[in-house]
Amino acid sequence: MSEKVLIIGAGPAGLEAARTVADLGYTAVMVEKRDRVGGTPDEFHYAQLTHHFRDSEEAMNELAAAATASANVELLTSSQVAALEGEVGNLTATIQNGSGSKNIEAGAVILATGFQHFDPGRETQYYNYYSFPDVITIADLEGMLKAHQVVRPSTGQPPERVAFIQCVGSRDRQIGNEFCSKVCCGIASKQAIEIRQQLPDSRVMIFYIDMRMYGYWENELYWPAQEQYRVNYVKGLVSEILPKGDRLLVRGEDTTMGRPMEVVLDLVVLSVGMEPSAGTRAMAATLNIEQNKYGFVAAGGSTRIDPVATSRPGIFVVGAASGPADLDDTFSSAGLAAARAIAAIRRAG
Amino acid sequence: MDAGLDKVDAIFEKETAIIDGVDISGPWNRMFKERVIWEYTPELIDKVADLPGGESFAWCYQCAKCIPVCPVDMVGNYGPRKLYRMAQTGTDLHKSEELWLCTTCANCLRVCKKVVDMVQIMPAVREQAVLDGNVPEELQKAFEDTAKFGNPLGQGQRKRAAWTKKSDVPVPIMKKHGQPVDVLWYVGSYPSYHPRGIDAALAAARIFNALGIDFGILGPEEKDDGDTQRLAGESGLFEMLAEHNIAMFNKYEWNTLVVTGPHELNAFKKEYPKLGFDRSALHYTQFLVQHLDQLKPMLKHEIKATVTFHDPCYLGRHHGEYDAPRELLRAIPGLELVEMGRCRENGYCCGGGGGGMWLDSFTQNHTTMRLSERRVLEAVAYGAEILAVCCPFEVSRFEDAAKSTGNDQLKVLDILELLDQSMRG
Repeated sequence: MSEKVLIIGAGPAGLEAARTVADLGYTAVMVEKRDRVGGTPDEFHYAQLTHHFRDSEEAMNELAAAATASANVELLTSSQVAALEGEVGNLTATIQNGSGSKNIEAGAVILATGFQHFDPGRETQYYNYYSFPDVITIADLEGMLKAHQVVRPSTGQPPERVAFIQCVGSRDRQIGNEFCSKVCCGIASKQAIEIRQQLPDSRVMIFYIDMRMYGYWENELYWPAQEQYRVNYVKGLVSEILPKGDRLLVRGEDTTMGRPMEVVLDLVVLSVGMEPSAGTRAMAATLNIEQNKYGFVAAGGSTRIDPVATSRPGIFVVGAASGPADLDDTFSSAGLAAARAIAAIRRAG
Repeated sequence: MDAGLDKVDAIFEKETAIIDGVDISGPWNRMFKERVIWEYTPELIDKVADLPGGESFAWCYQCAKCIPVCPVDMVGNYGPRKLYRMAQTGTDLHKSEELWLCTTCANCLRVCKKVVDMVQIMPAVREQAVLDGNVPEELQKAFEDTAKFGNPLGQGQRKRAAWTKKSDVPVPIMKKHGQPVDVLWYVGSYPSYHPRGIDAALAAARIFNALGIDFGILGPEEKDDGDTQRLAGESGLFEMLAEHNIAMFNKYEWNTLVVTGPHELNAFKKEYPKLGFDRSALHYTQFLVQHLDQLKPMLKHEIKATVTFHDPCYLGRHHGEYDAPRELLRAIPGLELVEMGRCRENGYCCGGGGGGMWLDSFTQNHTTMRLSERRVLEAVAYGAEILAVCCPFEVSRFEDAAKSTGNDQLKVLDILELLDQSMRG
């Protein structure tokens, strides 16, 4: 019998779950594959968080400090879970790192292995991402925004005309990602605002199928982007990007005008969606929990309505490991999973 | 070939083409493929949105709720959403003929989720167009007449009270009256000069006398309120007229300011206060409804007719008054009031507001029929024998429309005339 909660992944979801477990008086062991915490926001040098516009590094550092400062949280970096045996309340995880492996006893597990950005080069060479340097993704752009170096990679010069293309790798039967990635409309709008702040002379457009701004993202991101920062939203997705001298020609249909459009741009940003991370896929197999058809961990449990339950009792899933999630979703599910994990341990005891 | 250029030469012309027996071979049958949008022009949105009053133009997110309720779209192809897209794709609204089609009826604003306000946007852009000299000729003439004569009909200022000579009841003119009045009646330009407007003014004078109202008019000291000229882009002219009228209002002692027209109501309640006028005003329907108990017994003669009422945009949507005119109509014995489908908050526009009154020929080139004609057809479809109005722009507009649509049987009468008829038989 163990009262420890094993948390796999030390991104925002894992850190928040660990902090909550510790705050509730229980012990968490966090296993992180990378040599540092912070997850995808850290790895991809996110600039400001969507939708709060908080400095990402600062917010993640605060979160990491709160989680790791607690004596109740043990952090194992550069480590991975190789196996998990036993039942809820009585689990044994095999942890591997560069120097070998060891066993850790735990009462419950929280899986926080997150997502990865859709790779626009996969299979279809979407939008010539790998052949045109000035076609980048929202993940690439985060780093540029953080460094205040938004440039055309081909010239190193700031772009005058930038466009976002929405739903790249999402809502797509051919690619297999039929789901909406939920955050990209907001992130593109946030990034459009940041570009206009950093490059006031630039023009920014967003090509979209429909803008999905649930809740406060509408008034915190979409409206200011359009009304204050004069970002131009055009309904209709770009179908192809062609070279035009040393610039890019995007072609599509402007659906509200019912007319073809061909626009010359300096920088095209692909709003790539979310896919299950390699870690999420690997851990789902290792922990022997069900995945949905997209490779995310199937959440819902036996009741189908518990967002953090998996197919295996005592193993909980948080954040983007179970599907596209924003930070609000992630923190909510992390807190809930911490409570559920402790409750499961207490019931098992 | 350079990327994209394959679309440019997409022109079709059949060597021989005969349609319904007519030979249209040659350039007559030339067809162009859909025009490619080469360039988005957000700067043309900014050009509007950067003007004081134009800000909300940039807020449109293309939901298109405005289009089905736009009275101009109903007879053409128009509306705020479309204007936004036109600006985004190359149309400079400042130089476009589209600028002059909006009647500022505010039905788009009523349904707009983003509060894109054409009532502010239109005068802001038109003001610039006026400064640049891009004004339709007939509108320019109305501006010039107003500036020269104090009214858009181009009639002499000294003759502004000439209509009172036709009155069989006293109509005191303040300058001669020499004493305070309870009600200062601002008659307005059309009731002062237009033959059908004068009919309404004479009716009003009789009603006021019958009710024993202590009233007076400014007569030759009254000038056009100027608000419609302001909405059409002539803010300088508006300010000149407003300053004159405010000085006249302040010159005399009175308790209540009553206006014949909703556009004047808008001027005195919403715009003159910005220039220091600190009194309020009532539309005549609002004023008379306060005297309904006294008025009712005087309405002795039946008017046996099916009547429908056209809500003026500037009384209804702009000032929220829908009930006063209806209460007056219902007080008339024998009269059956039927509502048109587009009534009250969703009332259709007569086409006269925002400068439309002086743009009829210009607008005709952009619409399949006049807005007033569209409205008359609706009144007829609802079985109306009389179309009741209470805006001085409307009597002549709708009477012309009844004739031009072959509906001479439809009578167009101001509520003042109907009340007067019921009083006198």
